[in-house]
Amino acid sequence: MADVAVVRVPRREVPAKVKDGVRWAVALGGAAVIFGAFVLAKGVNPFEAFSSMFTALGTQTSLTGIALQASPLILAGLAVAVPAKAGLVNVGGEGQLILGGVCAYGTSLALGGSLPGGVTLVVICLAGALGGAAWSGLAGVLRLKVGINEAVTTLLLNYIALDLMLFLIYDKWKDPNGSGQPVTAPLRVAERLPLVGTTGVHAGIFVAIAATGLVWWALRSTRWGFQLRVVGGNPEAARRAGLKVGLLLISAMAVGGALAGLGGVTQLAGAEFKLRPGFLVSYGYIAFLASWLARHHPVRVATAAVLLAAIAVSGDSLQLDSGLPAATVNVLMALVLLAVFGWTQHKKAAA
Amino acid sequence: MSLVSEVLTGAVRGGTSILYAGTGESFAESAGVVNLGTEGSMLVGALAAYAVASETNNPWAGALAGLVAGGALAGVHAYFVLQRKANQLANGLVVLFLGLGLTSLFGASYVSKPARSFTPWRVPGLGSLPAVGDILFNHDPLTYVSFLMVPATWWLLTRSRWGLLLRAAGERTEVLSSYGHSVQRIQYLAVVFGGMLAGLGGAQLSIAYANAWFENMVQGRGFVAVAVVIFAARQPFKVAAGSYLFGAALALSPALQARGYGINQFALDAIPYVTIVVVLVVLGRRRAAEAPEGLKKVFEVSPST
Repeated sequence: MADVAVVRVPRREVPAKVKDGVRWAVALGGAAVIFGAFVLAKGVNPFEAFSSMFTALGTQTSLTGIALQASPLILAGLAVAVPAKAGLVNVGGEGQLILGGVCAYGTSLALGGSLPGGVTLVVICLAGALGGAAWSGLAGVLRLKVGINEAVTTLLLNYIALDLMLFLIYDKWKDPNGSGQPVTAPLRVAERLPLVGTTGVHAGIFVAIAATGLVWWALRSTRWGFQLRVVGGNPEAARRAGLKVGLLLISAMAVGGALAGLGGVTQLAGAEFKLRPGFLVSYGYIAFLASWLARHHPVRVATAAVLLAAIAVSGDSLQLDSGLPAATVNVLMALVLLAVFGWTQHKKAAA
Repeated sequence: MSLVSEVLTGAVRGGTSILYAGTGESFAESAGVVNLGTEGSMLVGALAAYAVASETNNPWAGALAGLVAGGALAGVHAYFVLQRKANQLANGLVVLFLGLGLTSLFGASYVSKPARSFTPWRVPGLGSLPAVGDILFNHDPLTYVSFLMVPATWWLLTRSRWGLLLRAAGERTEVLSSYGHSVQRIQYLAVVFGGMLAGLGGAQLSIAYANAWFENMVQGRGFVAVAVVIFAARQPFKVAAGSYLFGAALALSPALQARGYGINQFALDAIPYVTIVVVLVVLGRRRAAEAPEGLKKVFEVSPST
């Protein structure tokens, strides 16, 4: 075989860009058609469903809703992207978001208003980030020391985190003036995140944008970011080159968890002010999808997070106008993801 | 009933759905494919079984529907992973999301709607044995089927030609293809068959264990099944042991509360998950080394130490 020279004559083809564009259109169009078929099966006109989803997006309330949802989604998405650069799969966004909220709230309780509001806000942000980092770091350590896959442990830790939060809000932290509802007392007003101008959007969106820039810079221009990418690309080569692979992997997990933890704090201190049973439910999973949708590039992850936030918000109007359950949009999100997974592989095979 | 026998009875009752899903996942993982969408297959299986049992008044028709639905969703995972080479772990979660969305879309009308469920059937003779009779021989029919499934799976995976081909698909793909077998076809079969069993596990959950359908009712049991398969190293009897361990931890909470222990329910709810993580830690290192080659590629994107 080695003696035979195989000459491949390149065929004249449609320009790659046009082909890519067509594939995207077909893939996303296909996702929309399948979603429409499911909606139709529930007896709702798919065209009306889509148009109500689109028209609702332009309103002031929807834009505010998207910005509010985007803050924790962006941060939790980055929490997936950073470990992914080192080849790790962090599916623990749910748990890390919750731990962020829980640690922040617990710290605020412990301080009991003894510090000025602004200082407390900074302290609880740190506490939340630490909580998230501890939760994901635990999965990182188990991966290194015991060899259990981090995707499995982060998933299981999500359920433990949820039960921990429920335990606290049904028991120790239950608001005595909350008319028996399982919620905590609200955070002191001075410890809350300020609103942006006259809008209903809190400053958490700036935290998310700043974090996106910082992660982008750290992955691109720092030694740590470079080493992470080497480990993610070829861990064996990284070890031979003398990199501290273990430390790098754990730091990637911990930084990810810290970002998600911060996302939990912004939701607590900016939007909800108290912990309740449904606190940030399914945000961690949607953020995971956002990161995979964007192939873990920080700026694109943030963009994808905003996009998925928009789908989620338009899903609320679907619920109001068509009476479909809010979780219906999960179908649309999953179909879009599958379309993208199928499409990107085509691109790779062609290259 | 004593606390011990109550917990052990609950272990079998609550562990059976995980046993089905875990056995299914053992087939998929033996062929080198991890399916985190097992959670999704259980969900669609649970709803399909409940819906069909409710419409036809026949729990067996429901179980069949659960089987088909679970297999169909696993087929989506198989297509994107095997044909489109999508990342197994990420795609599994996307498939779960699809299942979650579809079941909330189509399940809303079945919440709090009655359905004809399986009822426990006491085995004549064996069922009247002291202790053992209650623990093992007073269950729904799907539980008895699972008792037979465990040794059957052991025989299939370790002693049959089919099992050899399956393990070769996970371990020595080049041998398999040089003997003229299609690796991809075997993997397809394994993943879809695994999804069918997960769907049956979901059916056991909705029409035998809970006698109800509610949104996201699987609550991580599919992920637990995947974890159990890891520490059981895909051996059916160990998968059964791990599943019953989770079931026992589940049964501990109501058993203690019924005896007036004033422990917070949510602290107890965390016990099953904590147990599984602890067992993973204790048995983890030894098991990881025994994984098939094909799985190592998935699980060890970057090696330890």
